[in-house]
Amino acid sequence: MHIPDGYLSPQTYLPLMGVFVAVTAVAVKKVKLDFSARYIPYLGMAAAFSFIVMMFNLPIPGGTSGHAVGSAVIALLFGPWAAVVAVSVALIIQALVFGDGGITAIGANCFNMAIFMPFVAHYLFKLFSVNPKRKTKVFVAAFISGYFSLVLTAILTAVEFGIQPLIASDAEGKPLYCPYDLSVAIPVMAIEHLVLFGIVEGLITALIVRYFLKSDPGLIFALRIRKGMQHD
Amino acid sequence: MATNLPRYLMQNEPVHTGETSGRKVRFSVIDKTILNAAKTIKSVYVQAENATAGGVLHSMHPKVKFFALIFMAVIISLVNNLAGQMCISVFVFILVLMGRINIPGMYKKVLFLAFFFGFFVVFPASLNVISPGKVVLNLVSLDQSYQFWIYHIPQNIGFTSEGVQVVGLIFLRVWNSVSFSILIMLTTSFPAFIKSFKLVGVPDTFLMVITLAYKYIFILSRTIEETYLALKSRLFQNPGNGQLRKLISGRVFFMFKRSVAQYENTYFAMVSRGYSGQIMPEPPQPLTTRDYMAIGIVVVFGIAVKFI
Repeated sequence: MHIPDGYLSPQTYLPLMGVFVAVTAVAVKKVKLDFSARYIPYLGMAAAFSFIVMMFNLPIPGGTSGHAVGSAVIALLFGPWAAVVAVSVALIIQALVFGDGGITAIGANCFNMAIFMPFVAHYLFKLFSVNPKRKTKVFVAAFISGYFSLVLTAILTAVEFGIQPLIASDAEGKPLYCPYDLSVAIPVMAIEHLVLFGIVEGLITALIVRYFLKSDPGLIFALRIRKGMQHD
Repeated sequence: MATNLPRYLMQNEPVHTGETSGRKVRFSVIDKTILNAAKTIKSVYVQAENATAGGVLHSMHPKVKFFALIFMAVIISLVNNLAGQMCISVFVFILVLMGRINIPGMYKKVLFLAFFFGFFVVFPASLNVISPGKVVLNLVSLDQSYQFWIYHIPQNIGFTSEGVQVVGLIFLRVWNSVSFSILIMLTTSFPAFIKSFKLVGVPDTFLMVITLAYKYIFILSRTIEETYLALKSRLFQNPGNGQLRKLISGRVFFMFKRSVAQYENTYFAMVSRGYSGQIMPEPPQPLTTRDYMAIGIVVVFGIAVKFI
């Protein structure tokens, strides 16, 4: 899911960087309103947690194991605006220190995984308007939210890849960046996420939310807002 | 290059696949998580250790390196010919030689990332199924060509010169950008590098969040490693996947609580030092003549290579 350098043309990565900067500025303001002076250490903690949540491998029914991208679970635990900042910071650190994702692609990666995915996960969960007392429904809602947010993000990433041959080719029509057009990029990305990675993301999101629900439901932002409560 | 890192951090751990009676047992999820946490700790250690070495690149102002990283990343994405990309590879290699860093270690990582993202993923594009053009090496000949919906399978499947050029270009782009960014990060202290984000107008508050997150990641990775080692030492038989999922969800919950405790402690420590919501940035260090020369060299090289 992390786009490396060399796949996206400047016509794609520059506008996505612009959108990322604008949305992140709004997100920082929103979190600052809720947390006043505490917002800096709070966001630092949320970013670190969104980074480490990817480290946890969980056994998946069927004999395999996997780890989540984590944006969905972060959006459900911290709220979508805090997730924007938290996941963006985690992605920036990953790109700089661990080489996961390109430097020019930071804006695109943050747009996909730190903006699009948390909001899709949040609104999908909200769509169910789940009663926290109905644990199975919360589990199903969290699974659907994790599953579809990842699948839709994968399709969005595929569209970014697939438009490259259309918008950035040389005089002979040879692609200069990602060589796969929409007819290749979308099916490949959609199928692998529909049948494997989406299920992993959905299950991990649901299992973590279920555990939080059992142990301390007040920590789940997505359930707090249902009851009309504020952060903390 | 001599290093102060403990020897155990520089050694590659043998991978235990748990071979029993000729049947390979998969790495357990607990081991995988311990490995992930250990890799993160190692990366942070190695990065911090390398950043304090006394090479030519190490002594340059972080702002210069930040500017060079962004400028070169853009140039690498704009150069659309193989010759230009090869010039960049040579330029980066010269800088690596000047950088006094572990060259085999660095290029091993570069090779892995460039092979996977720059070659393995785009390799099918060298075939005429994806990149139509003149076939330079035929691989398979079918009885006839096929048309499935919008997909065309030609009668002769092989490498095209256009496809090979596209794959070569993407491989070199990934290679160059990965090697240059690793070089910069290995020769710069991360907190100092983050401060140079101000060059592009990133506010101090966001920089503070990144710096805190980086420190928390290190602390929390150590906690994960310790908690998992403790968990592993208590498990004397396979608990089953269902039980394991509960155990791991519990560890995630525990880490969340630890993260919240960490953030509250940090906040109180900041308040006790006079923090009231406003960040007081340190006064910036001025650039030296050598820093300006370095900027000049990078800019001249970048512009020259773009117009090759």
